[in-house]
Amino acid sequence: MNSMKTITKIQLRNFKKYREFNVSFDPELNLLIGDNEAGKSTILTAIELVLSGSKSKVETIGLESFFNTSVIQDFLASGKKFENLPVLIIELYLNEQGNPSLNGKNNLDGVPGDGLRLICEPNEELSHEVAQVLAQAEANFPFEYYSIRFSTFADEAYTGYRKFLKHLTLDSSQINNEYATREYIKTVYESHVDQPQRIGLQNDYRQQKANFKENSLKPINDTLDNYQFSVKSGTKSNLETDLTITEDDVPLENKGKGRQCFIKTEFALQRSNPDQDLDVLLLEEPENHLSHTNMKKLVDRISESEAKQIFIATHSSLISTRLDLRKTVFLNSKSTDPLLLKDLPNDTAKFFMKAPDNNVLEFVMSPKVILVEGDAEYMLIEQLYINVTQSTPERDDVHIISVGGTSFKRYLDIAKLLGMRVAVIRDNDGDKEVNCVDSFIDYTADNMQVFCDDDDTNWTFEICILASNPKLCEELFSKKLRKKPKKEEKITLPEYMLSHKADVAFELLDKKAEELLTPDYIARAFAWINE
Amino acid sequence: MDKRVIFAVAGSGKTSHIIDGLNEGSRTLIITYTENNFKSLKKRISAKFGYIPSGIKVYTYFTFIYSFCFKPILGHDVKIKGINWDIPPQFTLRLKRNDERFYVDKNKRLYHNRIAKMLEQFGVIDELISRVEKYFDSICIDEVQDFAGHDFNLLLQLASARVNQLLVGDYYQHTFDTSRDGTTNKTLHDCYEKYKQKFIKSGFTIDTDTLSRSYRCSANTCEFVTDNIGINILSHRKDATNVEFIKCKERANELFTCPETVKLFYQASYKYKGLTENWGATKGEDHYGHVCVVLNQKTLTYLNQGKLHELPSQTKNKLYVACTRAKGNLYLVPERHLLEFKQ
Repeated sequence: MNSMKTITKIQLRNFKKYREFNVSFDPELNLLIGDNEAGKSTILTAIELVLSGSKSKVETIGLESFFNTSVIQDFLASGKKFENLPVLIIELYLNEQGNPSLNGKNNLDGVPGDGLRLICEPNEELSHEVAQVLAQAEANFPFEYYSIRFSTFADEAYTGYRKFLKHLTLDSSQINNEYATREYIKTVYESHVDQPQRIGLQNDYRQQKANFKENSLKPINDTLDNYQFSVKSGTKSNLETDLTITEDDVPLENKGKGRQCFIKTEFALQRSNPDQDLDVLLLEEPENHLSHTNMKKLVDRISESEAKQIFIATHSSLISTRLDLRKTVFLNSKSTDPLLLKDLPNDTAKFFMKAPDNNVLEFVMSPKVILVEGDAEYMLIEQLYINVTQSTPERDDVHIISVGGTSFKRYLDIAKLLGMRVAVIRDNDGDKEVNCVDSFIDYTADNMQVFCDDDDTNWTFEICILASNPKLCEELFSKKLRKKPKKEEKITLPEYMLSHKADVAFELLDKKAEELLTPDYIARAFAWINE
Repeated sequence: MDKRVIFAVAGSGKTSHIIDGLNEGSRTLIITYTENNFKSLKKRISAKFGYIPSGIKVYTYFTFIYSFCFKPILGHDVKIKGINWDIPPQFTLRLKRNDERFYVDKNKRLYHNRIAKMLEQFGVIDELISRVEKYFDSICIDEVQDFAGHDFNLLLQLASARVNQLLVGDYYQHTFDTSRDGTTNKTLHDCYEKYKQKFIKSGFTIDTDTLSRSYRCSANTCEFVTDNIGINILSHRKDATNVEFIKCKERANELFTCPETVKLFYQASYKYKGLTENWGATKGEDHYGHVCVVLNQKTLTYLNQGKLHELPSQTKNKLYVACTRAKGNLYLVPERHLLEFKQ
C-alpha cells in the first residue's frame, strides 16, 4: 500500500473570493498559477487552516476576513432569516488513509471517503441572540455568533494536537517574521526527530542549564545572600524556543532573505525519518528574494523531491514551465473555475510544455487578449490600438500576445475552458473562407472571434498596412527600393515590405506612429474586444 | 474464518484471552460494554506492546455504534447532537418504525437503545459490514452477555462480516439491561440453552471449555458458588481459602472495620461508610483480596434453605458476581449484624 498521505481534492463554500469552488489535486505537485487576487493564496490558506485544526488561527484572523463578502451582502440585503445565514466550509478530501476516524459521508458530496473539514456556522444555541442582532435595522452580520468546528468525514472532532497529515507552510513574504521562523524550525525539527527523542533532548537541555547554574554561576551566587542568579527555563525558554538552524555556523536568521528562502525550502524538502516525515508542503511565491540561478536550483530541487505532496503558489513562468505544466492549476481573477492543463486536448497540452515560456501564463492571466501572428504585428498593434481607441491596451486590460506562427487554436483551446475574450488577428493568406472561417469551425463561441481582411488580395498584414497607408509607406520606403540582384527591374514596395517585416514595422513606429491608419478588420477587432 | 462465542466463568482470564490473540500488526476491532473494562483493555494493550498499535481499535459499545457506525454512515443525512441515555417515552413505541421520532428525541438526540435498530431500518447494515471489513481482520467483543434488545440483533447481523469473530462473555454476569426496548429480545436471557442456540443459528461455534476455570477464585469459593448458587465454575488454583458464614456480631464488626476487606451489599452500599460497594457494580473488578458479601433478609433466608439458585435471575447473577470477586477468603455476613453502621 502506498504510504503517502495526499490531498486529492478541495471544496470551498463561501470562503474568501469563492462562493463555490472545487478542484482535484495531483498527488505529487500542484502549481497554483494566477494573477494577483486570483485566489492562489486563498487555496493555500484553506489547506493550511484545515490541516492545522487550529481554532485560534481562525479566531485571530477573524471570520470576517474569511467569509465571502458578496454572500454576506446578499444575506444582509435579503430578509435576514436565521435559517438563511451562510455557512463557510472548507473540505479536504484525502487518499485512502486506512483510518476509520477519517472515513465517512460527512462531506458536501455525501459520498464515503477520507477527509477533513472546517465548518463555520451560526451557533444554534444562540439563535435567540442572533435573531435580535438580525432584527436591527442596520446591516450587522452576526460573525460573533458563529461556531468554528474542525471534524473528519466520520464527524469526529479534531484539534491541532491530533494531526492527520503533517504539513509545513513556507511563505516568502513572512521570511523575516520571527514567529513564522520559529514555527518553521519547530515543524522541521519535529519532522526530523521523533517524539520520545524530543522529550529526551528537552530534558537533557534543562539538565545542562541546571548544571550551568550549579557550576559556572556558583562562585557568583556564593557571594550573594538572599538572591541568586539562575538560567530561565519553562515554556518560553526551552530547547524548542532556543533552537535555530545554521549553515556554516551562521544561524538562519542572520542570512539574507534569498538564502533564507532557499535554505528553508531545501531543508523542508529533505527526507528524514519516513514515519515523521512531512506529508504536505505549501510554498507561497518561492520566487521572491531569489536570483534567477537560485530559482533554477530550487526548481531542480523541487522536481527531484519525492514522497511529499507539494503545493506552490507562484507568478513565475520559470517555475511553472520548468516543472511540469500539466501539474498546473490556473486561477483567473475573473472566474472562480480553475483550469487544469490536464483538461486540455493532449496535443495542446504538450505544445505548451514545449512552447517558449511566458505566453501561456500571460494568456491565462488576461481577461481580454488579442492574439497576433508575429513580431511585426506585435510591434504595431499596440500603436494602432492607441490610434483607434484613444486609450491604451493596459488601461483597457487588453493583452497582446504574439503566438509566433499560426498556433492560434492551441490558445483557443484554453479560452474554451477558461472563457476569456480572445480576438485572433490573422492573415487571410489569399483565401478567407478556407483559412479564417472553415478552419475555425470548431472555435465558434461568444468569447472568441477571428478577424482578417475581407479582400483576398490583401492576403497578409504588410499588404493591409500598405493598403491603408499608401502615402505614408511610399514616403518612408520608396527610396530604399534597390535593384534585384542580377535583374533589371527594381523590387516593388510590397515586395520590400514583405522581405523586411521587422524593419518596416520599426520604421513606421519610430517615424509615423501617430499618423498610422488602421486596416478596417483590425479596428473591428479592437471594437469587439471591448464590447 | 473463525466465529466463536466463548462462555467464560468469572476470573478465568477473558481479557487476557483477547489480549493474547493480538500482535503488533493486528487489525482488530475490540468492543466492550463498560467503561471500566474499556480502560483496562487499553491499559493491558499498552502494557503488552508499549503503545497501542494503530490497527487495534478499542471502543466502548456506544462509542462504536455512535462514532464508528452512525456518524460516518448516517450523520450526513440525519443531523444529531448526541445520545439520549433515558428510556424512550412510552408513546414512541406506538410510532411506525420508519418514523424518525422513534429514534430521535425533540432535542435531536438519539435514543441510546435504538441506534442499532435505526441502522437496520435505514438499510445500512451492509454498508456497516463493508466498513468493518475495510478496517479490520477480526472483531473481539467482550462482555457479550450485556448485549440485549436491538443491540443483540445487530450483533447477529454483524456475524455475516467476513472477519474472524471472537465473542467472550459470562452468561451469568448479565446483571442489568441497558438496552431494553419494548418486547425486543425481552426473553433473551431467560434460558441459557435458547440463548446459545441464537448464536449457533447465526454461524457461531459455542465454546464453554476454554475459559471454564477461574484463576481468581479458589476451588473452595468455586465449590460454594456451584453448589449453592447453582452456577458451574471450576478453579485453576490448588491452594485453599475459607468460605465462612459469620454468625456472631463481634466477628461481623471486626470485618466491617477491617480496611482491607471489601463489604459488598445488594444495594445502597453508600449508606455504609467504609470500603463498601454494591454487588452489581463490582463486575470486572479484579483487585479484591478477602471479600465480605453482605446478605439481606431475603437472600439470607434463601441461603439457609439451600435455595440460592432459585433467586430471581438478576439477583442471583449479582450475587454470583459478588462472590467471585474473592481471591482470598469469602465471608457471608447477614446485614442485620451491621445495622449500627448504617447512616
